[in-house]
Amino acid sequence: MSASRSTPTNVWLWLFQRVTAVLLVVILGVHLWLANFGQSSVSLRAILGVILLGLALFHGLNGVRTVIFDFNIGAQGRKFTTMGLLLLGAVSLLFGLHGLWPLIVGG
Amino acid sequence: MTRRIARLFGRGGDLNPRNMRLGIWAWLIQRISGIALVLFVVAHVVAISQANFVLKGPLITILDGLRNPFWYVNRTFLAIDLLMLGIIAFHGMNGIRIVLFDTGIGVGLRSHKVIFWILIAAGVIASGLVIYYGLPLLGGS
Repeated sequence: MSASRSTPTNVWLWLFQRVTAVLLVVILGVHLWLANFGQSSVSLRAILGVILLGLALFHGLNGVRTVIFDFNIGAQGRKFTTMGLLLLGAVSLLFGLHGLWPLIVGG
Repeated sequence: MTRRIARLFGRGGDLNPRNMRLGIWAWLIQRISGIALVLFVVAHVVAISQANFVLKGPLITILDGLRNPFWYVNRTFLAIDLLMLGIIAFHGMNGIRIVLFDTGIGVGLRSHKVIFWILIAAGVIASGLVIYYGLPLLGGS
């Protein structure tokens, strides 16, 4: 039985990529709707904004990781890529939270 | 490296346009549009964040400011937004096909193509709705 073996990280990343893909299609639709007919409450926009930020950053950067890994860059290159993308994600997250701050504090 | 590229694009290569069928085009465009969207999302996030510095006040005011013709007087922004809308629609709809494929729905060459074109049609309709209702707000008309 392989049940005792833990699921490899790549499988989790593959699964999350699919789950975030579906969520992004739905939430991006809501995002575009709110951008055009936005009469919704500030708290709803804040929650959706933070969720969308996290989903988009994970899905996008993990997608870039997949594309780069397909170029056979070796173990060292893979590690460097992962670290670089994590750093870019962290910085972008801070930028995004800064942009959403007036909503989060309920402007 | 050079030999690998030559093999990819050369006669009989997988990425030689003469050999490329619908599926490989979808795969290639999905990757390229994905990279473009990451750049767009980062730019989008930074732009909203910067607007936060420039246009002080609640975010609703800031978003109204972004919709202001002052920002969209430069039609390049509008062109980029429309381009991104199309890219998002393609990436999203083709992505749904990939998720369906991975969950075992619509496997098989024929249904793959049918599902692809149905989803593309849905993407075109959704983009049309966004343009129809959204364009006046973007100052594009």
